[in-house]
Order: sequence, then C-alpha cells, then structure tokens
Amino acid sequence: MTKHDATTTGRDLLGNALSADDKELLDLYARLKNLSARNDLPPVAIANVKQAMVMLWNACNDLALICEEPGCD
Amino acid sequence: MTATTTATAYWNPKTETLPKSQLRALQLHKLQRLVERAWHTSPFHRRLLDRAKVSPEQIRTLDDIRRLPFMTREDWMANQSDKPLFGDLITRPPGDAIRYHLTSGTSGRQPLRVLDSRKDWSWIADMWCYGFWGFGIRPSDTVFFAFSYGSFIGFWGAHYCCEKLGCLTLASGNMTTEQRVKQIVEMGATVVCATPTYALRMGQTAEKMGIDLRKDGKVRRVIVSGEPAGSIPAVKKMIEEMWGGKCGDTAGMTEIGTIMIFECDHQPGGPHIIEDHFIEEVLDPDTGEPVPYGERGERVVTSFGRGFIPLLRYRTKDLVCKVPHTRCSCGRTGDIYEGGILGRVDDMKLIRGTNVYPRAVEAVVREHSEVEEFQIVITRMDNVQDEITVKIELKPDLQDVWPRLQAKLGKDLADAHEGLRFNVELCKQGELPRFELKAKRLQDLRPQY
Repeated sequence: MTKHDATTTGRDLLGNALSADDKELLDLYARLKNLSARNDLPPVAIANVKQAMVMLWNACNDLALICEEPGCD
Repeated sequence: MTATTTATAYWNPKTETLPKSQLRALQLHKLQRLVERAWHTSPFHRRLLDRAKVSPEQIRTLDDIRRLPFMTREDWMANQSDKPLFGDLITRPPGDAIRYHLTSGTSGRQPLRVLDSRKDWSWIADMWCYGFWGFGIRPSDTVFFAFSYGSFIGFWGAHYCCEKLGCLTLASGNMTTEQRVKQIVEMGATVVCATPTYALRMGQTAEKMGIDLRKDGKVRRVIVSGEPAGSIPAVKKMIEEMWGGKCGDTAGMTEIGTIMIFECDHQPGGPHIIEDHFIEEVLDPDTGEPVPYGERGERVVTSFGRGFIPLLRYRTKDLVCKVPHTRCSCGRTGDIYEGGILGRVDDMKLIRGTNVYPRAVEAVVREHSEVEEFQIVITRMDNVQDEITVKIELKPDLQDVWPRLQAKLGKDLADAHEGLRFNVELCKQGELPRFELKAKRLQDLRPQY
C-alpha cells in the first residue's frame, strides 16, 4: 500500500533529497523486511530479524522516509 | 553512542523542529495513508466511513479531516460486545499480536481490549522515547518504575523505551511501597516513574521510614503520568520538594497505546504534542466545531502509528487548552496543552448551580503541604440540596494546624468556585484510601436517575 517509495523517488516524504544515511537506513529496512517475510529460515533467524526489522521501521518512519505497515512483523 | 548524539535535546531532530507548513504536509500524507488503510482493512471503519459517505480519495487537504466521522468509546465497546473479543475494528487476525492490554477501568465501564503487533509495540516504546529524551533522560540514567506490570498498559511502553535508550531499567512489579523506596535509594535510581499520587505516597512513606530522599537518594527526574494532577503546579512542587528532582508530566491512553504529549526540559507550562505521529484537534464538545488557541475544548485524536487499531478522530473526552508551540523556547514545533490534561469533559459536577472539576479542587488542596490525602464526597440532603465535602487526612503530628487549615481551605475552595460553600472535614490517619495507579478521589453519592 506504499504510495511513496523513497528508494524510487530519491526523496523523503517531505520532498527532501535522501542523504547517504537515509539511503543506508532504507536499504537495511528493505533487506530486513524481505527476510522477515520469508518462512524458510530457522526460528532463531526469523524472530531476531523481525525484531531488527521493526526497529529499522521506527527509524525510517520517524525520519519521514516511509509511511507503511510492514505487514510481516 | 557518540557525544554528538547524546548532546542533542531532541529524540528526532528532523521532525520535532519541522516548520509548521512541512509538519502539516507530513500529517496530510500520513492521514491519507491511514484513511486508505482503515478503509481497506478495518470493517468497523469501513462502516463508519460509508455511513458518512466519505472515501479515501476525498481526503485532499488537512482540513478534509473534518469530513471524517468521529469514533467514540461507546462505538468501540459496542463493537467488542457484538463481536467478542476484539470486534472488527482490528486490521489483522488476533494471532498476529504480541501484546494484549485493557483500559484501566477507572470510569467503571466495560474495559476496552487492545492488541498490538511487534511493530506497534516498538512504535509505542518509541513515542515514550520522544518524551523521555525530551525531558533529559539519557543512557546513563537508572530508571525505576513504580508500576504493577499488569494488564493495564500504564508504564509498560515506557519500560521498553528505557531499554531502547540504553538505561538501566528497574521493574518493581509486586513490591511494597517500602521495598520500592528502599530499592530506589539502594540502586541510586536517577529517574522515578509513577502516577503523581503514587510519587507523593512513596515520598510520604520514605519520610516515615526515616529516609530523606533529597539527601539519601539520587533522583534527578520524576516522570509522572496517568492523572491530570501531573500538571498541577502545587502537586509538582510537592513532588519536587520530596524527591529533590524535577517533575515532568506525560499523558497517553490505552486507546492509542502510548503517550501523545510530554513536557520538555524547558517546562513551558504544559506538554508538547508529538505532531508528527498524531493529529490532535480541540473541539467544542457540544457542537464538534474547532475552538481557537487558548480556549478549552475536547481532545480528538488521530493516531498514525498503531497498525492493529486505526484510530481516526477518536473523541477522548479529555479537556484541554491548546496554545502555540512558540510558548516554549525549546525549538519544538509541536503545540502545547497548557496545564496538561485539565480533566474530563464529563467529570464536571454541578453543585448548587456551580461547576466543580475535581482537578480544580485538587489544585487548591495541594497548595497546603500539611495535607497527606483527601477525598471529595458529593451528597444530596433531603432529596433537594447538594452538598460537597472535602475530607482531609493530615500528615502525622500536624493536628494542631487543623482549625486554621480548615478555615483556610474552606475559603480557598469557595474563592475558586464562585463562593460555593465546601464542607471541610478532618479524617483519622490512614482512614482515606491510597492509590498506586489512577486515584479515585471523587465519590458522587447522589441518586442517579
């Protein structure tokens, strides 16, 4: 349901160009979200990846980089 | 953590200091996504929106929020009764949740049941981080929670916030008040979190134990929540004198799962709204129309963070007075609720034609440091005349002050209430109830029709 995809537009929700730090946070979040959606990893990986993913969600959400529900938490 | 990151006064410098125009643009973006999500995933909201003939694409400006229907506690309770246990407000299967909490039940009504996902719970802690960081809490702090850790959400999110910050976090669970005081001193806690009532009670208990918290303890901040008293200056002064640290107020609600306002370190006379995560409207409770800055009205909240439970224009019945963020010099652009939560729209009592708010009575009573505990009792004489009585319990060994205090309290209460006569009665030590969570200091014993 993401209408704004900062990685595609290169801009945050406020229209600012993404900084290198923003890009790195978004990249980490995207990778963790992909891992969180998988069901073929061992419990130890899945549970800890999901924990990490929601923490990254917070950073990206607070910094106005994303506005979405990850859906795999 | 580097010196640079701990030196900033803001948890989130980017959005806490946004110019208002950008803050409004961010809120609009989030509002549009929230309405869209509620429409697609919450049958409860879909019905409300359909009934109001509103669809997501009609939300084009922030003013369009007024197209959205109100959501009420009554609707929510009825929905949970009709479709136990959680109603169809929730957007995901209950099995996706990691947390279950209940409203406190202070109002005596059926408690609301709420669920949170892993992401929601992380967001809930994050909102507390705005408040704790803003009031000066840092990773080097040792934070003590005087909280029972039951099904009431209370300080649960704050506990997780402190772990996220990197503080040494002390949970007191089922400890007695004496055990809590002892641990606060023994562990050198620098921050204590409690309801205002319980912060006072711990202070009184410490005195009885022969502990001088100002000298024997290391507390530099007392963070209170859960009662309007947290923003009453006389209550804060008492807490600060007892503990020797600054007292800061926060306020939240189970319905949003976390806090939406917090006092910053500058303490401008009220807490800031976390406006990048909430839209807080202040409306005339009767007409539903917005009231201008500086006028009292009902808080109506829209919350962006909780995925399980979308909250759109929720009527809180909290009485507030919003003033511009420029009242504070901290640099945050979130507006301020002057005096915090002023009470409940529906807790006003009409006594012989005069409006009486329990918070206003408490503000007068707490000006008198001799008072240890109090209760307000309203009765009806001969089925005709309403009487209001303030029952007072004094601190130990202060009985001599009673005749003077009784007269002074009667006068001060009358002066604050258009001359209304209050009965002021003395109670024995230990006669009045004590509270750990939200205090219930008002008994309305009049017949209810």
